[in-house]
Amino acid sequence: MVPPEYYLLLSAAVFCIGLFGILTRRNALLILMSVELMMNAANINLVAFSYVWGNVTGQTFGLFVMALAAAEVAIGIGIVLVLYRNFDGVDVTEATTMRW
Amino acid sequence: MIIEALIAVTFLAALVVFVAPDEYAGRLAAALSALPVLGSLWMWAQYDASGNALLGGSIAFETDFVWLTLGSLDLHWFVGVDGISLPLVVLTTILSTLAIISAWTPISERQSQFYGLMLFMEANLLGVFTALDFFAWFVFWEAVLVPMYFLIGVWGGPNRRYAAIKFFVYTNVASLVMFIGFIALVFGLGDSVSSMRLPEIAQALRAGELAGFAGLNAGMLKTVAFVAMFLGFAVKVPVAPLHTWLPDAHVEAPTPVSVMLAGVLLKMGTYALLRFNFTMMPDVATALVVPIAGIAVISVIYGALLALAQQDLKRIVAYSSVSSMGYVILGLVAYTTYGVGGATFQMIAHGLISGLMFMAVGVIYNTTHTRMVGDMSGIADRMPVTAGIFVAGAFGYMGLPLMAGFAGEFFIFKGSFASTVHSGMPLFTAAAMFGIVIVAGYLLFAMQRTLFGPFSFDGDYEITTAPMQDVAPLAVLLLLVIVLGVAPDLFFGMIQDAVNPILTGGGL
Amino acid sequence: MAGILDFAPAIVLLPFVSFLVALAVGDRLPKGGALAGIAATAGSLLLAAATFLTVSGGQTYNATIYTWAEGLNAVDLSFGLLIDPLSAMMLLIVTLIAFLVHVFSLGYMNDEGETGLPRYYAGLGLFTASMLGFVVANNLLMAFMFFELVGLCSYLLIGFHFREPGPPSAAKKAFLVTRFGDYFFLVGVVAVFATFGTAAFAGDGSFPVLAEAALNGEAGSVTTFGFAPQTWFTIVGLLILGGVIGKSAQFPLHTWLPDAMEGPTPVSALIHAATMVAAGVYLVARMYGFYALSPNALAIIAFVGGFTALFAATMGVVKREIKQVLAYSTISQYGYMMLGLGGGGYVAATFHLMTHAFFKALLFLGAGSVIIAMHHNENMWDMGGLKDKMPVTYYTFLSGSLALAGIVPFAGFWSKDEVLYETLIHGLGGNPILLGAYAMGLLAVFFTGFYTFRMVFLTFHGNPRSQTARDPHGVGWNVKAPLVVLGVLAATAGLVNMVPVEKLLGIKGIDFLHQWLDGGYASLTAHHYGELIPYSSSYIGSEATTVALGAGISLGLALAGAGLAYLLYDVPEPIRHTDRLGRIKTLLYNNYYQDEYQVWLANGVTRPVARAANKFDGGIVDGVVNGVSSVSLFSGSRIRRIQTGVVSNYAALLTLGLTALLVAFGLLGGWFV
Repeated sequence: MVPPEYYLLLSAAVFCIGLFGILTRRNALLILMSVELMMNAANINLVAFSYVWGNVTGQTFGLFVMALAAAEVAIGIGIVLVLYRNFDGVDVTEATTMRW
Repeated sequence: MIIEALIAVTFLAALVVFVAPDEYAGRLAAALSALPVLGSLWMWAQYDASGNALLGGSIAFETDFVWLTLGSLDLHWFVGVDGISLPLVVLTTILSTLAIISAWTPISERQSQFYGLMLFMEANLLGVFTALDFFAWFVFWEAVLVPMYFLIGVWGGPNRRYAAIKFFVYTNVASLVMFIGFIALVFGLGDSVSSMRLPEIAQALRAGELAGFAGLNAGMLKTVAFVAMFLGFAVKVPVAPLHTWLPDAHVEAPTPVSVMLAGVLLKMGTYALLRFNFTMMPDVATALVVPIAGIAVISVIYGALLALAQQDLKRIVAYSSVSSMGYVILGLVAYTTYGVGGATFQMIAHGLISGLMFMAVGVIYNTTHTRMVGDMSGIADRMPVTAGIFVAGAFGYMGLPLMAGFAGEFFIFKGSFASTVHSGMPLFTAAAMFGIVIVAGYLLFAMQRTLFGPFSFDGDYEITTAPMQDVAPLAVLLLLVIVLGVAPDLFFGMIQDAVNPILTGGGL
Repeated sequence: MAGILDFAPAIVLLPFVSFLVALAVGDRLPKGGALAGIAATAGSLLLAAATFLTVSGGQTYNATIYTWAEGLNAVDLSFGLLIDPLSAMMLLIVTLIAFLVHVFSLGYMNDEGETGLPRYYAGLGLFTASMLGFVVANNLLMAFMFFELVGLCSYLLIGFHFREPGPPSAAKKAFLVTRFGDYFFLVGVVAVFATFGTAAFAGDGSFPVLAEAALNGEAGSVTTFGFAPQTWFTIVGLLILGGVIGKSAQFPLHTWLPDAMEGPTPVSALIHAATMVAAGVYLVARMYGFYALSPNALAIIAFVGGFTALFAATMGVVKREIKQVLAYSTISQYGYMMLGLGGGGYVAATFHLMTHAFFKALLFLGAGSVIIAMHHNENMWDMGGLKDKMPVTYYTFLSGSLALAGIVPFAGFWSKDEVLYETLIHGLGGNPILLGAYAMGLLAVFFTGFYTFRMVFLTFHGNPRSQTARDPHGVGWNVKAPLVVLGVLAATAGLVNMVPVEKLLGIKGIDFLHQWLDGGYASLTAHHYGELIPYSSSYIGSEATTVALGAGISLGLALAGAGLAYLLYDVPEPIRHTDRLGRIKTLLYNNYYQDEYQVWLANGVTRPVARAANKFDGGIVDGVVNGVSSVSLFSGSRIRRIQTGVVSNYAALLTLGLTALLVAFGLLGGWFV
């Protein structure tokens, strides 16, 4: 079997890509996708540990997170749509009316 | 159940008035607020308890059941009155009704909300004076601030937002300090109390069951808690130098709100001081007698001097409240029957008289639209009845015998001069008594300039006699002041009865 | 208890009822409530007379009638009546004067078409009631309470003409200055309670008796706050004396009284003769048993009295207005009473209190009559020659003036002479302070004679100096009748106590007042006081020589003063001789600049201090409060800058925060070790 370290490395890599995306992208949609990446990184972890420990709780949680991610995307897309409508674009650095 | 009925009726009245149309909200509020007046008078007539509610005396109109359980502490719904709180309940109901009537003329916007908030405040005040469980008491205590904040902030003068926020933040921070002090005491008492009922805590504290807490030994904890609670309550009283929210709040608040603020809200502070600090921890109070009496004297003299420097009639009365409440502190710290009893009596007397003065200033303001001493003179020529009552009220404030103020002040002076808690008490008393000269000074100066002399007025308004609805509450208050001055025993008997247990035992 | 004495409360209550009537329905009554007032004071007068007769039958009355505040585990505070010879006499005087003043007011106020009459009569009624309540008080607290009410009434009545600028100011000053004295009085009352646990005047448990016992070394429940009893009693006595000095217008708190002339003249008569000003002296007489225990307090009373007598008399010499002269004469005469009390002459001072009440009421009412005639012009330099046009006023006024100047056999002579005589013999007994006070009192006699007759001659003699004086306004019966009654009394009241005659001619038993004040409660008799006072007597030669010498000197001085006035002013066209005094006149005319320094104390010291306090309060105390709020607002305004509104920044902060937390946990948890 594949040792768990590999899964963890994969997960960390995916997480870092997601984080990098969030920090560097200005497009709201891309940020949303990056968030999805990070969430799936967590999913990989959950499933991997579940597999290692032989306990299905982790897999169940993985399913939960997927459902959650779907819901989150629905809201996220909604926000992006409103953003587009109000600011004529999806650049998050343009939408700064909520600052101090 | 009369107390629950009283509070519930007032809350319901507040709700009803809140949704009533503006046209008759004022009349309706006055009519509904007559119910608690009748209830409180009935309580006064039926009152037959004796002793101090916190120290094992019988409690009148008592209700006590467990409300919910919080860890090892039960929260009770526990209400009742004794000789200290009943007069304050009567004061609250009467003053609320009169304040509502006095609002008919000056308040013309959002009337239903105004009267609803007034009644809501009255209900909470009744709760403060009757609750004997800390939790309920604290809820009422804090809830009083909310309507007050809106009453100042919405219906106030030009600088109302500043005043309202200052009032709210200042008193709320003070509540926090007080709350920490009290909770520390409850933790220090540990398992020796099973609830936060005030009698239980008071008796445990006086029995010396306090243990150390948070690295403090019992004595230190008690002192720290005493100081924290004293500071918390002192803001409400207010004593110098924690008084600066008061003049701003008074000046900006509309007249009826000033009446409630000076007449009842300030008494919350002294009432709480008496109930908590001076009932529960007499040993600390007597150990700290010099600073406390010093603060009292400073409040009296400093407040009176500040009043002397003011040009705004309302500010004059506001600062003189600081001065009058200083007497209360002096009486409390004296720990004699006449001292503490007189302090309690002075709360009632000052409530009535300061209410009277604020209303009288308000009636003049309704007509002249100015409160500045320099803007008018000889008003007595055009408003003889109002001026007459103003003069009478001012003399009441100066402590004219056979008016309530004199009774309160004299009891305090008599009690504190003879006090044995400290050998310097006669000197403190004599120093504080000099306030009666300064108070005469500023009130006489103000009256001479505004009421008397040749008539002159700079404004565009016609100065005519005040309407009946403005004068009637004044007359009622004046009558009450005189009745209480001639027959202080109407309240003073039950007050002494409730005060005397405080003075015995517990390190005294 | 005797039947009639049970009605004694009605003496007080009747004028109070007239106050209520005048206040409530006075504007609907004929004469604006005057008749109610007259009826009430007449009733009081009759009851007082009946009381007086009953007391002369040897009966007294001392009972609590109302418990004001009942103490639980503490003393009761109560109202009670003490009817003994002193208070019975005073009741009679006060009710008589009040009655006459009410009648006189018909002429002075109603007939002159004044407005606000109900207010006026309500004030008079309350004034009378307060004073009567004060007179019958059987304890110090009740006395204080009515003392204050007297002050209130004086405020209301002095400021009666509130539409003018002067009266409200004078009223304020009167109340404020006396209030300053009352502050000390109130401290004294509280101290008496703290010391003795009671404030009763009479009876075995009364505070003078307890004080006496304490001084005799009997252990009692007397708390003296760490002082020796003697010292402490002196302190308490002096505190109470503060109120006396304020109300009885003694130096340095006399400044309110001349200003109080702004009130209507009948009110001045009432204030000066029977109510407010008399209250102070009466208080000392009432608790003389306490003062007699303290030599220092007595000496101070005597010295203040003697000084005030001289001090005020000199100022009376230069005044232009008739009422001003009378005002200063009042201050001076009350100085004599204080001198008498301090000098150990309890009966003498009480005697002077009585005679002064008659002749000063007379003089004020006479002045009122003149003022009516002169169309409310009070300047004596505009008068002259009124003698022929208003003979009743003239002769009664003359009677009062002779009494005031102390010319034998008018009332003032006997009483003033006895005051001086008592002071002299006690001073000779080895007390230099008393001798000094005596000298000042004696010197004042000369000035009194001078200013009194200067006033008489300027007003009534010579040629008329103005149109109104040539054609004065007539006065009615309601003005003349009180004048006649008082005129007779001023001439004859002295005969009740002709001590010099008794001493010189050896006729025993004509010192009726001495006998009268020896009745009643044992601890309140003149005899008892005589034993208490810490003075010994000594005479120049024999007792009779001293009496003759003292009376001769004071009469001679009075005559000299009157004679000088006769020489200077009893001419057809008098000139302002006092101008020759130059700067002294300016000094006297400005009252030794006493008002100035008191006004300076109020306006030049207290107000700036108050303003400074206000600045301090707004700047420092409130500044700290606002400072705290500014600091939080400022720091908030800086810290909120991290809320840039850019989502990426938030995400970065989030990441950094998490990293920092992880590092911190790691360091603390030792992961990197």
